Amino acid sequence: MNLQRLHSFALRLIPLFLLAALFAGCSSNVSQNSNSHSKTLTFSWSEDIGNLNPHTYLPNQFFAQAMVYESLVAYGEGGKIEPWLAEKWEISPDGKEYLFHLRKDIKFSDGSTFNAAVVKKNFDAVLGNAKEHEWLELINQIKSTEVVDEFRFRMILKNSYYPALQELTLIRPLRFLGEAGFPDNGKTFEGIKQPIGTGPWVLSEYKRGESATFTRNDLYWGTKPKLNKVIVKVIPDGEARVLAFENKEIDLIFGNGLISQDSYKFLKDTGNYEAHLSEPTSTRIVQLNSNRGATKDLKVRMAIQHAFNKQAVIDRVFYGLEEKSDTLFSTNFPYSDVHVKPYEYNVERAKQLLAEAGWKEVPGKEFREKDGKPLELQLLFISTNNIQKAVAEVIQGDLRKVGINVKLTGQEEEAHWKTAFQGEFELLFNESWGAPYDPHSYVSAMSKAAEQGNTDYLIQLGLPMKKEMDQKIGRVLLSTDENVRRALYADILTTLHEQAVYLPISYQTNMAVYHKNVSGVNFMPQPYEVPFTTINVK
Amino acid sequence: MIWFIVKRLSMLIPILFGISLLTFLLIRLAPGDPAEAYLRLSHIPPTNQAIQEMNVKLGLDKPLIVQYVDWLGKVVRLDFGNSYVSKQPVWDELMLYFPATLQLTITAVILTVCISVPIGIFSALYKDSMFDHLSRILSFVGASMPTFWLGFLFMYFFSIKLDLLPVVGRGSLAHLVLPSLTLAFAYISTYTRLLRTSMLENLHQPFVFYARVRGLQERVIIGRHVLKMALLPVVTAFGMTIGNMLTGAFIVESIFAWPGLGRFFVSALSHRDYPVVQSCILLMGGIFVVCNLLVDIGYGLLDPRIRWKGER
Repeated sequence: MNLQRLHSFALRLIPLFLLAALFAGCSSNVSQNSNSHSKTLTFSWSEDIGNLNPHTYLPNQFFAQAMVYESLVAYGEGGKIEPWLAEKWEISPDGKEYLFHLRKDIKFSDGSTFNAAVVKKNFDAVLGNAKEHEWLELINQIKSTEVVDEFRFRMILKNSYYPALQELTLIRPLRFLGEAGFPDNGKTFEGIKQPIGTGPWVLSEYKRGESATFTRNDLYWGTKPKLNKVIVKVIPDGEARVLAFENKEIDLIFGNGLISQDSYKFLKDTGNYEAHLSEPTSTRIVQLNSNRGATKDLKVRMAIQHAFNKQAVIDRVFYGLEEKSDTLFSTNFPYSDVHVKPYEYNVERAKQLLAEAGWKEVPGKEFREKDGKPLELQLLFISTNNIQKAVAEVIQGDLRKVGINVKLTGQEEEAHWKTAFQGEFELLFNESWGAPYDPHSYVSAMSKAAEQGNTDYLIQLGLPMKKEMDQKIGRVLLSTDENVRRALYADILTTLHEQAVYLPISYQTNMAVYHKNVSGVNFMPQPYEVPFTTINVK
Repeated sequence: MIWFIVKRLSMLIPILFGISLLTFLLIRLAPGDPAEAYLRLSHIPPTNQAIQEMNVKLGLDKPLIVQYVDWLGKVVRLDFGNSYVSKQPVWDELMLYFPATLQLTITAVILTVCISVPIGIFSALYKDSMFDHLSRILSFVGASMPTFWLGFLFMYFFSIKLDLLPVVGRGSLAHLVLPSLTLAFAYISTYTRLLRTSMLENLHQPFVFYARVRGLQERVIIGRHVLKMALLPVVTAFGMTIGNMLTGAFIVESIFAWPGLGRFFVSALSHRDYPVVQSCILLMGGIFVVCNLLVDIGYGLLDPRIRWKGER
């Protein structure tokens, strides 16, 4: 072979190769670091912000809706209801009529006035689609609404429903869209024309699936944001989010589950960033099914509570980042400061309870038996959820020590819930709903018969006092007397604790990680909100 | 040739019909249902009543055959229905995300060709040289490294350590580099090896010997004859690759926050957003069929024998 010629042929190919390399390298001017623009904060979220419709759910994201739309009343620290768009309100003695006095200085972002007529229009739009909001008891309780005068609005309920104000604080569906945003037929659930709200931010640029830019609403009635702009980038992957954060492409990571606990610890340990955790937002729990298999027996459920080494999970799976929980709701939630005796980690006590329940150790066998049947429990978890998987393995190991065989069933999310809603499990991971839903919405839902949709209801079916407890839940929601309410909640929560149908593991928290030039990152009482209004950048 | 193309295109219809029927049935066999998924993802407790309401709203209360005929009837008129989640027409959604995927794929294809062809030729011509060994190592590494890991390594070195390129997002040309390189990397490895082997086989064919006897220049022999022959298996594989890249870039799109079709498809799948899933699969099926058609045409252009056979 004529090597020289070959060589020259090969040499001719080199430019091609270089071209490829050049193509890869030509554009290495990185346009990044959004901080170079003054007062802009770049944030990231795992999904697109959605269509910013205040009255609907998916694909809307809570935090984005909360940036643009506001509620009549606000959910303050510890669940205290505070004035917001309504500066004050009066509740009739029978608890059925609410008269809201609206603030008079409020303008929508398009300059139109916020008044009782537009409030009613929004209520009507939501009530016109009441079926979709059936889960929210307030919607079912509203009998009528009326415009009293320009700045007074009345809401009349069928019964005295105490959480009415709490449910008005929710990010959706009872927040207010400006007149010009309504479609011609008024049916907002079919879509809106424009996202016009009274909130501190206005959507100014939107690239679906990529990014959204919010600009400060200069007509905002409250404390104006310090930032000019908030850019929200869609980054689905947690690890990529961490790298983007390190590369200063985003300034703030805020929320629950956006990055792994490993990543949080890693970023915190570098010492280069600010990293903080919020107060408990919701509780991670394992539900013990009182209506199936061995967990029908209270003693078995109690044995599981004692056999599980919670602290080990906190230390090794959560790196101490989540606080151990002993009750279904954190005591900082309304009516949840109930004094119950926690089930401490005590293997001997667990063994004793199992023996009392008739599950005996069999020589030569690893697991206990009763009437010749081995003690087996099915624990469902979502296969892609690393935390559930890790905790499931600990539970399996801990319960093996007392002679219980835990079978782990990991499924893809949809299939997982399908199995769960059919009640085919003894143990199931779940979590409480957090503020402002806990405790009243969560408790309310557990009392509703819905074989297909509510594992709380399912797992309680085997409780002897289930019916009685559901009646108490019905009463607590309609009670007008604070003391009665408190007593009923104490009763319900104590029963649930004593019946050991919930194994609380830890309190989830929001994580905030940000660069040192960012300040004012506070945690909000509603965990789904991000405190853009108080944030500043240097 | 034209008759051949027409014939192949007409086969598209029964294939797409088959795909549509299969996906329609398969997605419904999967556990989980869209009404419940929608409610749960909206933070709405999925009570029985809520699920029933939602089923009526989504048209899922009708018998399966009616659902299928309804859907197919609309698809024929290019109406792919509305997404359960976003409520937007599926067609608009597809057209929103498809260009991003197309951009990524085209870049990755260019990178694959520009990098793997020269390396493949070099390593065949300089068999067992240092260069050949290096390219072999590169190929093995590339073929065995998981995409997501490679992606993170690229991000770490090029963005964090060297501060040259952005980590995530789409926008400037710089944003395109890492995702397309990640997507192309495994294919580069494959094609380098494929082309090398194919070149080596053809270099020892009699026609090369006779070409040399005829006194043809070596670069003409390699460039015009050997390479052309050697490209045949590469072109076959390429049809599948382009299809794969267009439809299977999910991991790359997900880690680089690239707003493409793969990401959209997988999220629709987890939401059990039937209209989106069905339309995506139909589109992907169409892409594969078209890619294969292009391969066959390419074949004909490269090797006249195939063309003649097709015309006979």
